[in-house]
Amino acid sequence: MVVQVLAGFVSAVAFAFIYNVPRSEIFRTGILGGLGWLTFSLTKDAGGEVGAMFLGATSVALCSELFARRYKQPVIIFLVPGVIPLVPGGRAYLTMLSFLQHDYNEGVTLLVSTFFLAGAVAAGIIIASSIFRVYSRAKYVRRQL
Amino acid sequence: MEKLVGMVLLAGELLLTCGAEMYRVEETIERMGISAGFAQVESFATPTGLFLSLHTSDGRVYTRVRRIRRSFSNLALISEINAISRSFSSGETTIEDVTTRLKGLKKEGVPHNFLRLLMGGMGAAAFTVLYSGSGIEALIAGIIGLIILLIDNKLEDYPIPNALVAAVGAAVAAGLAKGAALLLTINTNVITLGAVMILAPGVVMTTAIRDMLSGELVSGVTRGAEALSIAVGIATGVAIILSMGGN
Repeated sequence: MVVQVLAGFVSAVAFAFIYNVPRSEIFRTGILGGLGWLTFSLTKDAGGEVGAMFLGATSVALCSELFARRYKQPVIIFLVPGVIPLVPGGRAYLTMLSFLQHDYNEGVTLLVSTFFLAGAVAAGIIIASSIFRVYSRAKYVRRQL
Repeated sequence: MEKLVGMVLLAGELLLTCGAEMYRVEETIERMGISAGFAQVESFATPTGLFLSLHTSDGRVYTRVRRIRRSFSNLALISEINAISRSFSSGETTIEDVTTRLKGLKKEGVPHNFLRLLMGGMGAAAFTVLYSGSGIEALIAGIIGLIILLIDNKLEDYPIPNALVAAVGAAVAAGLAKGAALLLTINTNVITLGAVMILAPGVVMTTAIRDMLSGELVSGVTRGAEALSIAVGIATGVAIILSMGGN
């Protein structure tokens, strides 16, 4: 698992380079990549794959919002490389492979689980960002009063 | 006044071309417009075009439309423009300064340097490890990742749709993995998967979700479609190679 968390770190750093994240923030995006995979592997047995994916994405998105405010950077600088290791690319690949081998039963099963995993990642991002949006809106309203 | 309008328009255009979320584009335009002294600022940004009108306090209206034809993912530019707009709003920099800095940024595209390719290769290797590949498989995936990034960098200079660029990269990755399997006993699936993951449309996907969330339905749907078309392109590229000559 340590190796996998490290791989999550490296893949996030790699994406940070591919999308040209500012050099000063690259290490932090790596931490988020590792964090996402760590949360996912720790909760996978207890919460099931989809639930673990949701928690992983939520933790990454929450920390991205925190980092963005702390270091005065746009949120997507942290969020994009951070969630990349969680994207269910492997499942999508196996789906395509099953369809190619005319194994439609397996293909549809994998397709549905790919959709659920991708949905879990999206839901994690949406919920974490919404929490921060409500919070900053509340702060804004309070300042107006 | 003309200069101010040009500056605000340029900032918005740059943000759109490097893949920022819509609310960031519109918010930046609004913030810069208000700090530049306009009474009212209205803007409407979509992934393929930008409309804005700036109202002065004496009743004149400046309206501009800018068509966005080309876009790429460069997060450093977004961060840079964010910093410029912050310092302009707080009155630390002048209009001339902001305009020259923005014009300088406009010349930048996605940097094509060797470090980026090398890190892309590292990423492909890391994904192979994430999908439980062995050390030698990770190494091969890393080399393949480097090669396909190089090819895609070259292709991006031509007016080729993003989905096709992704398909070509994926086909090359699958072909090379298959070729390597002739020499070594390795799992081609893990290698191909690790290598094509670096072609995944990360920025487009994430901004699509965030746009949807902030009520930007038009750009949420169009960016979602763009991400989907790139994913389909990758799948097609791999599928073509895999279905050739059996397994």
